[in-house]
Amino acid sequence: MTDVPSLEVVNIRKVYPGTVALQGVSLSFLPGEVHALIGKNGAGKSTLVKIVSGAVQPTSGHMRVAGASVELRSPRDAFQKGIATVYQELSLVPELTVAHNILLADLPTRWGGMCVDRRAVDDRAANLLKSLNLDLDPRRPVRTLGMAEQQMVEIAKAMSFNPRVLLLDEPTSSLANHETESLFRLVRELTAQGVSVIYISHRLRELQQIADRVSALRDGVLAGSIPVEDADPRTVSHLMFGEVVPRHRPQNLACGKEVVLEVRQLCREDKLHDVSLAIQRGEVVGIAGLVGSGRTELLRAICGADCADSGVIIVNGIAVARPDPGRMCRLGVGLAPEDRQESGLVLNRSTRENLCLASLWRLSWHGVTWQSRQQSVVDGTIDQLRIALRDPESPVSTLSGGNQQKVVVGKWLNTEPQVLLLDEPTRGIDIQAKQQIFQLIWDLGKKGISTILVSSELEELIDVCHRILIMRDGRLVGEVMANDVTPQQLFEYCVDHRRLLGGRSHG
Amino acid sequence: MAEDLFARQANSWWNRSIMDGVLLVICIGLAVRAPNFLSMENLLNILRAVSMLGIIAFGMTMIIIAKEIDLSVGSAVALSACIVARLMEAGLHATLAIAVTIAVGFGLGVFTGVMRVKFEVPSFITTLALFTAERGLALMITRGFPIPIKTSWYSSLGGGYIYGVPFPAIVLLLSFAVIHFLMNYTVFGGAVYAVGGNAEAARLSGIQVGRVRILVFAITGALAALSGVLMSSRIMSGSPTLAQGLELDVIAAVIIGGTSFSGGIGTVRGTLVGILFIGVIQNGMTLLNLDIYFQYIVRGGLILAAVLVNRLQEVRKS
Repeated sequence: MTDVPSLEVVNIRKVYPGTVALQGVSLSFLPGEVHALIGKNGAGKSTLVKIVSGAVQPTSGHMRVAGASVELRSPRDAFQKGIATVYQELSLVPELTVAHNILLADLPTRWGGMCVDRRAVDDRAANLLKSLNLDLDPRRPVRTLGMAEQQMVEIAKAMSFNPRVLLLDEPTSSLANHETESLFRLVRELTAQGVSVIYISHRLRELQQIADRVSALRDGVLAGSIPVEDADPRTVSHLMFGEVVPRHRPQNLACGKEVVLEVRQLCREDKLHDVSLAIQRGEVVGIAGLVGSGRTELLRAICGADCADSGVIIVNGIAVARPDPGRMCRLGVGLAPEDRQESGLVLNRSTRENLCLASLWRLSWHGVTWQSRQQSVVDGTIDQLRIALRDPESPVSTLSGGNQQKVVVGKWLNTEPQVLLLDEPTRGIDIQAKQQIFQLIWDLGKKGISTILVSSELEELIDVCHRILIMRDGRLVGEVMANDVTPQQLFEYCVDHRRLLGGRSHG
Repeated sequence: MAEDLFARQANSWWNRSIMDGVLLVICIGLAVRAPNFLSMENLLNILRAVSMLGIIAFGMTMIIIAKEIDLSVGSAVALSACIVARLMEAGLHATLAIAVTIAVGFGLGVFTGVMRVKFEVPSFITTLALFTAERGLALMITRGFPIPIKTSWYSSLGGGYIYGVPFPAIVLLLSFAVIHFLMNYTVFGGAVYAVGGNAEAARLSGIQVGRVRILVFAITGALAALSGVLMSSRIMSGSPTLAQGLELDVIAAVIIGGTSFSGGIGTVRGTLVGILFIGVIQNGMTLLNLDIYFQYIVRGGLILAAVLVNRLQEVRKS
């Protein structure tokens, strides 16, 4: 495989207002090669994917397809120039047949385009499926297929354009283990035909199975590009995370002995298996784990957002068998959810109303509320959290991401909380707002309020927490003290290199 | 800084009051063109004319703010009028008959709410079904003919005056006061706004989303029944064909008042303006002797224009 690269990106830069997402990345993708692209959140991975698939245009730099310079103006343009992308979210029409879906963009017609030529559709699709060695009936409606089969149809659809480069964005994120294997067979079939596959995945254990080369992005630059034989977990984590950053946690951060929150044998479907933990007063506990390891599900089950199948949650000695958010809120357990716009804030209401959302009853007199009474409490919270705003009566949607996040956390401060559950509280916010949120966590800890913190940024967990629990496939598999661990070690615990191929899958 | 604050408040006052201004301009125009428009008698007539739909519109405001809808209120008015007439025909005392009728209205609202909360049936569907079924029930109770009401003092509910103000208008203002208080000065009101704006965020903040949804339907059901009682008193009978299409006028008043279908946005005060708007237009067109068919077209056009104005305001704000 010494031919001309199917795709080269040369010195690609992408500048967004306020941040530089990519600062001069160059990579070559060879025919017949599976090239895995990895990087933690915010490393620039998804920006590169968007540029290669034509969804956004680079600020500077250029691309070559099979040696010829190209400029991609739109996703459609990219398809026509030989770069096909299969996105994480499938785009099939469930009521149509497999064949119809595959050829949707270019249906053979009869009678001058008046009518779809069903037989031609079926024949062409059947030929395509056969050339990919896929055993699928082209006449089946897509809704009758499983997730993996739908994924194959999606890939077949992309292959109907005869691309040189196929970009797979998290193709296994919704597949079970055995399904993953049949997807890999298809990918190998494609590479045997000389297609160059760009493979994006968070599941690092898959790399050994499918990739030929691994490239890692970090903070918008290429951290390294190595053959898969050299990509042991230690090297991979070093590529992704770089050198250890200094920590800022105050040394006098102590926690009480008394247990405020205890979780016993929590189970929920295939998301959580027998999870037990105990949190002490004022303690800051981190939960580390890969995407899909059950971190979010654990927080949601504790605060009653999702109903657990079994298990008990004990807050200050009060056992709750079937928690619901109202009950847990009264007991002093509050969740700041991962997606603040989707489930954390009422966007079209004011900052004041959002900050009072969890404490409406508390700030009332037998159910009667006064704006002025709310206002004085809200002013205090705004000061404490240093929320930058022009008018607390303006819709909360007018605030910046970091300030919105502070509101999501801040609404719990008026409820006299015992335990705060923070799910990715620093996602998408700037470094200063991050530091302020950490400071708040520590300040609350000193007042005896405990925090459970979920974050994909492992350095962050080590910086902020006393203790870190490690989740994998819906189970708690270990526990480390933050002082005793490096990000690399923590990452290896999360990935579990000793069980590279084993274990059940997660979604 | 102070100047900035002043400008902001002036701006928000302007935004809030644009419909008030339009209403005022129309009133001035009518006062000039139709001299008897401004007479106390005419103004009170307007109030009485819109009171039946207005009473319900305050409830509907809560429902639409909570991002739900109730299409059954017109049928509920007819059903309530028939129930109260039938109960009195059967010998029940009027006050008791009224109480039972309002309880039935409340119960029908609870039903819609429970269907929404427990079975996740969209309120559009449930109330569409009730829209038909309640009308049918009214026809069944009355066997298709109005049931006359013989208790003579009963007529003063719909036609009486207190200190010269029509009784229905007093009920209208009272229900405005109650719902305005509920929505602006209680935990419940805050919860309604939160549920309509983002039900999931409200739930995760410990708000009992289900209870809030059931209550807004129940309160509106009770208000519709109250309106039905007043209407039966006005004509001294329970007629199954009453209030056809009333639900659309009610929704129109709420929308003209600036409440948004996207949920979480709207005020009871705005709805009051919307109600007066509809009343004034209707009254004015009659005073000006506009052709009745043409009146419908004008009313339709005005609803659309009012919503456009509100929409433009929203766009300008964001």
